[in-house]
Amino acid sequence: MFILGILILAFPITAFAIQILIGKRLSPGGAWISVLAIFLSLICAVGIFVKVLTEPIPPGSARVHFRRVYPSDAIVYLKSGETLEGTIVERIPKRDVKLQEVGKTELTTIPVDEIENIEEGWRWIDLSGRKIPHFTKGGSGGIYIGMRFDTTTAIALLMVTITCSFITLFSIGYMHGDPRYSRFFAYLSLFSFAMLLLVLSDNLFTLFIGWELMGLCSYLLIGFWFERPGVHISPATAGTKAFMTTKIGDVLLFIGMMIAFVSLGSFQFDNIFDGVTRGDLNSGWLTVAGLMIFCGAIGKSAQFPLHTWLPDAMEGPTPVSALIHAATMVAAGVFLVARMFPILTPNASLAVAYIGGFTAIFAATIAIVRMDIKRVLAYSTVSQLGYMMLGLGVGSYVAGVSHLITHGFFKALLFLGSGSVIHAVGTQDMRNMGGLRKKMPITFWTFLIGTLSISGVPFLFSGFWSKDAILGATLGYVMAHPGHILLFLMSIIAAGMTAFYMFRLVYMTFFGEPRDEEAYHHAHESPTNMTIPLIVLAIFSLAIVNPLWFNEDFIQSSHIGATVEEVEHANLLSDTSIPLVSNSSNPGRASAESAVSPLGRPLLFAEATVLYAAEGEHDGNAHLIAMILSIVMAGLGILFATLFYLTKRYSAERVTARFRGFYTVLWNKYYFDEIYDKLFVKPLIGPITGLIGGFDLSVIDGIVNGMGTIWRWISDISGRIDYFGVDGLVNGVASVTIYSARVRRIQTGLIQNYLLLIFGGIGGLVILMLILRAI
Amino acid sequence: MIPEGFPILLTLMWAIPVLGMVILMLIPNRNERAIKWISVLITAVPLILAIFIFINFDRFSQEYQYAGRVPWINAFNIHYSMGIDGISVWMVLLTALLDFIGAIASWGVSRDWAVGKSVKIYYVLYLLLEAGLIGFFCALDFIVFFVFWELTLLPMYFLIGVWGTEPRREGKIVRGGPYAAIKFFLYTLFGSVLMLLAILAVYFNSDPHSFDITTVKLIGAGPLAVLVWFGFFIGFAIKVPIFPFHTWLPDAHVEAPTPISVILAGVLLKMGGYGIIRVNLPILPEATKYLGTFLAILGVINIIYGALCAMAQTDLKRLVAYSSIGHMGFVLLGIASISDAGINGAIFQMLSHGLLSGMLFLIVGVIYDRVHHRFIVYPKDKELMQEWHLDPSLAGKPAFGGLGLKVPVYTGIVSLAFFGSLGLPGLSGFIGEALSLLGAFGRYKVLAIISVLGIVIGAAYFLWTIQRIFLGKLNPRYDKDAGGEEYDEEYDSHLTEINGRELATLIPLGVLVIVLGVYPSMALNIIKDSVALLLKTLI
Repeated sequence: MFILGILILAFPITAFAIQILIGKRLSPGGAWISVLAIFLSLICAVGIFVKVLTEPIPPGSARVHFRRVYPSDAIVYLKSGETLEGTIVERIPKRDVKLQEVGKTELTTIPVDEIENIEEGWRWIDLSGRKIPHFTKGGSGGIYIGMRFDTTTAIALLMVTITCSFITLFSIGYMHGDPRYSRFFAYLSLFSFAMLLLVLSDNLFTLFIGWELMGLCSYLLIGFWFERPGVHISPATAGTKAFMTTKIGDVLLFIGMMIAFVSLGSFQFDNIFDGVTRGDLNSGWLTVAGLMIFCGAIGKSAQFPLHTWLPDAMEGPTPVSALIHAATMVAAGVFLVARMFPILTPNASLAVAYIGGFTAIFAATIAIVRMDIKRVLAYSTVSQLGYMMLGLGVGSYVAGVSHLITHGFFKALLFLGSGSVIHAVGTQDMRNMGGLRKKMPITFWTFLIGTLSISGVPFLFSGFWSKDAILGATLGYVMAHPGHILLFLMSIIAAGMTAFYMFRLVYMTFFGEPRDEEAYHHAHESPTNMTIPLIVLAIFSLAIVNPLWFNEDFIQSSHIGATVEEVEHANLLSDTSIPLVSNSSNPGRASAESAVSPLGRPLLFAEATVLYAAEGEHDGNAHLIAMILSIVMAGLGILFATLFYLTKRYSAERVTARFRGFYTVLWNKYYFDEIYDKLFVKPLIGPITGLIGGFDLSVIDGIVNGMGTIWRWISDISGRIDYFGVDGLVNGVASVTIYSARVRRIQTGLIQNYLLLIFGGIGGLVILMLILRAI
Repeated sequence: MIPEGFPILLTLMWAIPVLGMVILMLIPNRNERAIKWISVLITAVPLILAIFIFINFDRFSQEYQYAGRVPWINAFNIHYSMGIDGISVWMVLLTALLDFIGAIASWGVSRDWAVGKSVKIYYVLYLLLEAGLIGFFCALDFIVFFVFWELTLLPMYFLIGVWGTEPRREGKIVRGGPYAAIKFFLYTLFGSVLMLLAILAVYFNSDPHSFDITTVKLIGAGPLAVLVWFGFFIGFAIKVPIFPFHTWLPDAHVEAPTPISVILAGVLLKMGGYGIIRVNLPILPEATKYLGTFLAILGVINIIYGALCAMAQTDLKRLVAYSSIGHMGFVLLGIASISDAGINGAIFQMLSHGLLSGMLFLIVGVIYDRVHHRFIVYPKDKELMQEWHLDPSLAGKPAFGGLGLKVPVYTGIVSLAFFGSLGLPGLSGFIGEALSLLGAFGRYKVLAIISVLGIVIGAAYFLWTIQRIFLGKLNPRYDKDAGGEEYDEEYDSHLTEINGRELATLIPLGVLVIVLGVYPSMALNIIKDSVALLLKTLI
């Protein structure tokens, strides 16, 4: 499995190296190297997927799946006897482990089968001294990296490699003839590498590396056509904006990482979860850490209030929008929250739920009025990511991650479909489209499947199931906490709006009469290497992709699973039922905060949630209500879209005229760009830096120059004294110091003088000291 | 003949450049080609020796290696004592590498020199500078330490003053090479005096009186220890430079010729950071702990202030200079943390900054050699434009834009250096910053969180610079196809793609930035044991 993991990473990074170094010479055929590489990764991902799902999980331990990378070093943690923790381990020949206890010199050899729990990882950064072990809390030991193979990883790997593969394939046709053709594929390969690294990571540190590298690729690809003016904003500006906005989230994430590392001494998920479970981090700091990590996700997943970069990111080539800004990178934020799910405290989770729910409805309102086909999809991405956050926030790990997977497929499909349309008509403005379904049948039908999936049309499409899971979980949560009914309202209304704006898009683009005859005339179906990806992704948008089927695996293979068993086990022993699972009318969360499990520590929110979620599966009430409501809302959305944009029974223009003010606010995206520009960007590049720069130049440097003037007077006086003292050597130096212009006349003779002066000065000091000593 | 215990190899490291000076002196002035080749060959020798030392370095030993100690002036217990540990081996290697690269880079710069600026004397001084730097990083006796410290001052003074830019009037001040040189000299000399006093204080407070850096100690955090601590600290702080002693740096960096800026930023600044680690930490452990918060606050000021100042600059070289101030702030923060992550991070950051700032100044040099100015945006002041021999009608306009189309390879190299500097994971800058911050966070949570802001501002000014110079539409002055009035054939023809020699200087640094970013243990495995030893005295 480990070999497969390494190979998955090795293929795209090799392709990147080839493309960046000699890609230009290989172009255009060289692009197939990138395609080949990512398809090979896809094969490895399938291998991992099959292996993870078929390997039985031994009872009592979900960790068997978490085997790590093992080159040469190993560290040993004995379950009892914490004193040995972090001791130095000699290189292991044939896996026998040598231990050296702190303060002792002799080595103890322990046969491998006597060790209860070997945790092995590659010491990527090792800071412990070899000869003198010392362990300061915070940053001790080093940074260990490895890979983690659990169900979430396996499914995410599959989704990422499939979308990456077919989008790379699609790009061959789409980017054809671009002057920087090979560069584009280099960036795509680097991106694939970064995303796969993130998914495979078993620790926050390499996850962060993948995270930031994706940010770089995003920056490079948004600004790929950096010389162009762009449709709404120049690509160069959009790239910078994306990088800077996400960077704000990134540094907050880094703060969260620092909190975790300094208090728990490790970046590895298992150690962090163990530490949290042991209670090494008090709940205040735990909440802060969770929120900071979530802030990283807010930036990357374009959640409110850091959402402004994503729509502008659409200035990049369309395959990039599909891959990075819809299917994979932006979902990384959700993936991170899912990974760190067990450390989210109730307060942190609530923040996740509210930000997610609000973003879902907030972005949907903006999407309704967009005229640019890609912008509609961009805001819909923001909205759907909000859904995932909501799902995680209300405690349904499975729902959040499932929607991440299904959304990855159908959103990639929708973007590639829009790319196909843009490629055909040469415009992104839907007002210049119409009637394209006859000209581009494959694009139309596949696009329709994507639309039905995202709109939540029942049963046949993947989006319905994952969205329903989120709505069901939200309703379940709201039933337990009626105070948070807003969460459910926001999500159910957003569901209706999603169906509305997606069908509006379909009707405006593919139905009705062509509004731009010339564009229509030129339109044609895209070539095969562009339609094949559409068809494949359309198949994956059907209900055959339904991660809910892996429900049991999910729970067992995530860290939470172990806890569930632990709790259940303790339950059996103590013979007292844990109150929070038993009562279905007041499930889970209500008592989670106060509940103390039989393990003698406060039960983590996430654990309680999972227990509840598991319970919720049996209690179908919430899910049934949510399902019916979501079908009704989707139906209403589609109905209104049909009435307004297909049959034209009602006029959209009249409605907008009626609500002019509100429409303007929506059209201007609630003025967030303008507000941020005035509040942060302009002051920073204008007054603030100007002030500091001016302060440095006039005040600090002014003082120095003032001192210089004073010194010059003093040296002038001393120079005169020296002159009368007829000390030629010193006189020469003084004049050089005083009159800068003379410096250029210096000859080598003076250098010797200088040396003489320095050594002479030291000699003088030595004499001085001699005298002092004598006294 | 050679006394027992004489550090032969380390002496050779600095003696060979001195020998080279003598050889160069013997070559006639007009024979420039020979002078250039011989200089490069001479600088290659310490590099080879440094690599040899590095390869044979015993990372499991905590003794000083290649060490030797022979009496020099017996009356005062002064020894000629040298040796290197896991910290200084990297500094020596960095010095030898950058000096070698700087010697190659000097070829290009020297083309434009007027008659008065002799190539021979330039290289003679350059080699003296190298001897001083290497000697400094190897020295283990305070007097030797101080002599080499002072020895670097002198050649630097002339190299900036004579071979730097011509004097020009900027407002009330006549800036330019001579001004910057004097500023640098006086500033550092001021620090040297305090340092010398501190050295003497340590000497007279040790029993028996000793200048041995490895053994002397000044225990406690009483008034004397604090005073001595500040004596050393101010000397080093000026070199680092630490706010508010930093104003010599933008001037010196900007006015010096490219290779000298590389040495200044790449190596000279490290003398300060290295000094704090080598002297303040082990010799004054309690005073250091007592003043740790103070040190950390200064570090944070450096990070934020340096970044904001960098953002305010319209001169590319000044921007790079201020970015150095910000990056050295992380070194300070790491040291202040007194933790293994922090100090390892600080040393790693020095190494990484040496490589990256070297790249950055070489990059500025490339563009300066072509268009003879370094403005991202032309100054609004028309007089200043005339001082720079630029067309006053261009005042306030962007100087570049869209160069990514015209010089793609150069753009790629610049992006590597910029992203390395702004702390992109996978490149060396990230490791240094991350470890320093991790160390600092354990001790100063709030300060570490504030300094994270510096990373954001850092990203902002680097990206903004990339955008203004390389992205967008090609500036019509350089665009033949656009034609029109603005097209400037002279400028356009000068703005050629980066050449082979320039690439040869940049690529080794770029490769090291990537290698250290991907596999930081290459450096940390050697550094960490020395740091562990250091920390043992502190904790």
